[in-house]
Amino acid sequence: MDSSKQVPVTVLTGFLGAGKTTLLNRILTEQHGKKYAVIVNEFGEQGIDNDLVVDADEEVFEMNNGCICCTVRGDLIRILSGLMKRADKLDAIIVETTGLADPAPVAQTFFVDQDVADRTKLDAIVTVADAVHLSSQLTDHHEAEEQIAFADVVLLNKIDLVDKSGLEAVKERIRKINPFAKIINTTKCGVSLNEILNLDAFSLKRVLEVEPDFLESDHDHEHDDDVTSLSFVSDTPLDMEKFQDWFSKLLQTKGQDILRTKGILDFTGESDRYVFQGVHMLMDASPMGKWPEGKERSSRLVFIGRNLESMNLKEGFENCKSA
Amino acid sequence: MKAGLNKFPELNKTKFENRGKELRLGIPVINSVVIGNSIACGFGDGTIRIFKSGQSSEPIKAHNGIVLCISKDGDDIITGGDDGRFLKISLNGEISEIANFGSRWVDHVTANNGSLVCTSGNIVYLWMPGRKEPKLLEHESTIGGVAFDSKGRRLAVSRYGGVTLWKKDYSNKWKSSNLLWKGSHNKVIFSPDGRYLVTSMQENQLHFWRLKDKIDSAMSGYGAKVKSFAFVHDTKFLVTSGSNDAVCWPFDGNGPEGRQPICLPFVGNKLVTFVEPFPNENAIFTGLSDGSVFLSEIEKSSNTIMIRSFTEFEVTTISVTEDASSILIGDMAGNILWTSIWDEENK
Repeated sequence: MDSSKQVPVTVLTGFLGAGKTTLLNRILTEQHGKKYAVIVNEFGEQGIDNDLVVDADEEVFEMNNGCICCTVRGDLIRILSGLMKRADKLDAIIVETTGLADPAPVAQTFFVDQDVADRTKLDAIVTVADAVHLSSQLTDHHEAEEQIAFADVVLLNKIDLVDKSGLEAVKERIRKINPFAKIINTTKCGVSLNEILNLDAFSLKRVLEVEPDFLESDHDHEHDDDVTSLSFVSDTPLDMEKFQDWFSKLLQTKGQDILRTKGILDFTGESDRYVFQGVHMLMDASPMGKWPEGKERSSRLVFIGRNLESMNLKEGFENCKSA
Repeated sequence: MKAGLNKFPELNKTKFENRGKELRLGIPVINSVVIGNSIACGFGDGTIRIFKSGQSSEPIKAHNGIVLCISKDGDDIITGGDDGRFLKISLNGEISEIANFGSRWVDHVTANNGSLVCTSGNIVYLWMPGRKEPKLLEHESTIGGVAFDSKGRRLAVSRYGGVTLWKKDYSNKWKSSNLLWKGSHNKVIFSPDGRYLVTSMQENQLHFWRLKDKIDSAMSGYGAKVKSFAFVHDTKFLVTSGSNDAVCWPFDGNGPEGRQPICLPFVGNKLVTFVEPFPNENAIFTGLSDGSVFLSEIEKSSNTIMIRSFTEFEVTTISVTEDASSILIGDMAGNILWTSIWDEENK
């Protein structure tokens, strides 16, 4: 499928009051010459009225294939399929989710439904966070952690209401959960739309550009957040068979707790870079061309999830190195 | 996508194309409905067009966005749109609004013997003949499809987890029972004799229930979602899209359980995207993902005629007039063929 024909879909998450509605209103009213449709949820804040606003029900359902990870958003399948029949082509679609929603079923919908995958593509997950309240929300609600964990961009809003050290502390906490999300500081969601729309964050090409802070050694948590991230680097090439064996078993058995993964892999005997990214058990992976000449080859792997410490990830990864 | 930019090979056109009328509208064709010898067609820009022999088919602006669904109520067209409106449109093009749900889409519409139904979200709105206010039938999840049986005494509503079957008792009260099967159910139809209910699912399969004893089973093996299926008139076949063949399941005797379907193949191995029975014959029109359309006899697949050559865009509707004289074919890019089925000398 020609990706230029797929309409990009941005998922906008964040707790009530963080500023999602302000942002949506900007997207709909700013003179940008683009046509954006916005799918809002029925429990959302009031005040958005536009021809291109669609009410949705956040209906999560399981596929009939026995895979517990294959929960999808049924309403999204219906609405996205409908929007694709419009005579005028949309430049982008924005899906707002409620503050208490798990972003995974939204993301999984783009992996699981063929019609949705053919005509639209998941562009990025943008989480609007309130700089004042995020810390307490992260402590009190696992949904807040998930929204940070899944984010490609965290729009840290209301920064005018916290002092400098408070801002640094909340950013540090975001980075502990999700080292590869881009954090944008804003007041009143004053961000250029180019920084949140059309990012192509779910394309494998973009995984190559990700340079997370590799905090491999730093595991002493100030806050005891459930969701954490772990990353691994190896200059020794990996054995493809060993890696596939370990990684597929890991996702099968721990996929519920692994929220997002990304990686660039250097396999023994392969001239191509292997790139993948995944949401729970669902994975998109492909060779992405030769390693750049003159640069060191290395494998990098990032996990974001719960109970990562219990999964023996380091040992598992080490065992994949070619002897 | 703009009209005129579509590559339309002028060579190798079929005789049906050569003698018919072709429109290149550049607007996705959603679906169409037959009213006698007229065919009404709904589009992705909110317009409908009415095709009738010897008349032009000017666009009628019905909805603001998309005509999401189209059906008929007697001699009138009924439509639902993404502007939240449920409309009735006469064959003369007069529009009247039955209901308006604002930013909530009207996903499905149907009618039978003066009873009108539309669905929005998880609610069925049912207008009994002569009533101004609808009865609301609420369901646990969003409605995937809705269908009356031929007598209008039963209303099937497909949803997540199965079908809710509403029955009208002799005091005209509606009572529901559930037919359960895990997963999300989309379009639903009754067999013409009312003995079976069939749904298409989010998974690449169909499901059927034999209503007298509630026996149910899956019809699977498809490579894609089954979006189009219909019972072939007067025979016992259910013909389905979703594969490279038109897959025809036998519904005579005890139904399809444990039996093999008849598969009608086509050149090029393209996906079947739309199927439409030929009125009163054991034959079907099959539309493919490359825009081509064929007419085949179900039990003699060697008798296959190409009706429309390819356009590169998937067929989204096929309708045949009641007298079987004319056919309308539409695709995702807004290319329409409206042509007579019979050669002059065979009429």
